[in-house]
Amino acid sequence: MELKIVENREIAKNTFSLKIENPALFDIKPGQFFMVRINGFNYPLLRRPFSVANFTGNYIEIIYRVVGEGTKILTDKKVGEFIDLLGPLGNGFDEIAENKKIMLVGGGIGAAPLIYLSSVLKNRHKTPYEAFFGFNSKDEIYVDFGSIATMDGSSGFDGNVVDMIEDRLNEDTFIFACGPTIMMKRLAYVCYDKGCGMKVSLESRMACGIGVCLGCVVESQNGFKKVCEDGPVFDFREIVWQAM
Amino acid sequence: MASNVNLTVKLGNLIFKNPVLTASGTFGYGVEYKKYMDLDKLGGFIVKGLSIVEKQGNKPPRIVETPSGMLNAIGLQNVGVDRFINEKLPKLKDVNSHIIANIYGTSVDEFVGIVEKLENEGLVSAYEVNVSCPNVAQGGALFGKNPDNVFELTSAVKNITDKPVIVKLTPNVDDISIIALAAQDAKADAVSLINTITGMVIDTKTKKPVLANKTGGLSGPAIYPVGVRMVYEVYEKVKIPIIGVGGIYNSGVALQYIMVGASLIEVGTANFIKPDITVEIIEGIRRYLDEENINSIGDIVGIAHI
Ligand SMILES: Cc1cc2nc3c(=O)[nH]c(=O)nc-3n(C[C@H](O)[C@H](O)[C@H](O)COP(=O)(O)OP(=O)(O)OC[C@H]3O[C@@H](n4cnc5c(N)ncnc54)[C@H](O)[C@@H]3O)c2cc1C
Ligand SMILES: Cc1cc2nc3c(=O)[nH]c(=O)nc-3n(C[C@H](O)[C@H](O)[C@H](O)COP(=O)(O)O)c2cc1C
Repeated sequence: MELKIVENREIAKNTFSLKIENPALFDIKPGQFFMVRINGFNYPLLRRPFSVANFTGNYIEIIYRVVGEGTKILTDKKVGEFIDLLGPLGNGFDEIAENKKIMLVGGGIGAAPLIYLSSVLKNRHKTPYEAFFGFNSKDEIYVDFGSIATMDGSSGFDGNVVDMIEDRLNEDTFIFACGPTIMMKRLAYVCYDKGCGMKVSLESRMACGIGVCLGCVVESQNGFKKVCEDGPVFDFREIVWQAM
Repeated sequence: MASNVNLTVKLGNLIFKNPVLTASGTFGYGVEYKKYMDLDKLGGFIVKGLSIVEKQGNKPPRIVETPSGMLNAIGLQNVGVDRFINEKLPKLKDVNSHIIANIYGTSVDEFVGIVEKLENEGLVSAYEVNVSCPNVAQGGALFGKNPDNVFELTSAVKNITDKPVIVKLTPNVDDISIIALAAQDAKADAVSLINTITGMVIDTKTKKPVLANKTGGLSGPAIYPVGVRMVYEVYEKVKIPIIGVGGIYNSGVALQYIMVGASLIEVGTANFIKPDITVEIIEGIRRYLDEENINSIGDIVGIAHI
């Protein structure tokens, strides 16, 4: 699906907002993602997975961090150019437990899908929630709501976001989380400890995004699960965190 | 303007409407691609390698991207032949295209066992025998590296089926044509080549191989010149049809394989990037023949040798 780029600009350090026209062909669940083609054949070869950070009547927004070759090339795309997207893919954050105290917890670029989730919680579910986001430093922050933690203490809580929220967690809490794997692992152990529920969006290297290459699997309690098709969102109890 | 070039290809007792197939492991069980393309457009498709019992596969990380390619060490994760028959095949009932079962075992008996189970499935047109697997009786050395093992395995499969048997060769050998000859001597109906080329990528941060399996198979556009060269070599030695595979991502590369001697071709990794790429490749081949005033695809098979 070739769609027109309506915006591609830096919104925080090394962090870009890519807005693409909404073709009005589908709905998107928070937590779902697209496989984005960076170039035609042959380099870089594989599509890159990116979550949806916002979805309105006008556009699909992806917020991406420049980490390597593909995302670097993506920054050169101009408004008016077309970009090839495959999706929306994956399961997304569904089954909102409305009787629990909902918390969104994001780390770094992992906050992106939670922005869209927050707008759906607010506008569609009319459910209250709290949001907590961790970044390395102030200049990397690209969210305009929620409580902030920074590793260098330049904004908000001084330290990581898991430390910031740990004391607030109990059996009545339900977390929607996305962030670096080490952070998700730590959060999973804390959730076991505190007895809270959690749905977590995982990252893994994928070639196809549509469930056929079997490249993106993670270890679950019932064997390997595909991040692209069985996920990217999992109940944290499903995952064998020791293997992550 | 309707084109009247003839794209059909005969293999054993089968007629393929065009020479384009999809490669095992890159097209799931076919079912997954239904929403992205019309499967009926394909000459055929080859399903993920089937083993006698369900296989979990290797631990992750299983893939890593390389320049114009990728390494994979999936470890042949698959649902096993029984679930394939009970869960996947029924979803392919309405497909008007050849379904080829790629099969994988660690002993001759396992291969034979899989074929016996599939033999009465009318939807399965042919078998592709993946010989890039460890022969447990021989201490785990790949079947495909030893012509005697390939002969024995191919003969055993041929003995119990009337469906065409395609032997899929590994490129990780000194002389692939010797292995192809062994398959031909055992009455294989065709050989397909190449499977992936063994490679390794190191993560300089952890100072260790990226893949949990350490090595993986290189696929994608980067490998096509190796595949084209090997099909060229095999065509000089064997008489049975050759199926060309490795790095095909457009009709130009597909035609190169055909010109060095492939009667049919398989598209693999490119399906990941563009799920309907095969449709473009078929159209591209048709257009080329039209423009060159060539009536039939058969007219250019092996033409690079003359
Ligand atoms: C479901 C999902 C959603 C994602 N959502 C976002 C998002 O909203 N914003 C964002 O900035 N990033 C997101 N990522 C991570 C993003 O896919 C990678 O940062 C990106 O692929 C890096 O590409 P590159 O070419 O710049 O990096 P390189 O390191 O050059 O990439 C090399 C290869 O590794 C793969 N790769 C590298 N890092 C990752 C990673 N963290 N996860 C998966 N594959 C990786 C690439 O796809 C590529 O095939 C998501 C990943 C997944 C799996
Ligand atoms: C992820 C992946 C899984 C594969 N699984 C199989 C398999 O199960 N059986 C098999 O014979 N070949 C398998 N292959 C090899 C392909 O069928 C093909 O021979 C190879 O990838 C080269 O073609 P390509 O460059 O077009 O991908 C696999 C390849 C990839 C990339």
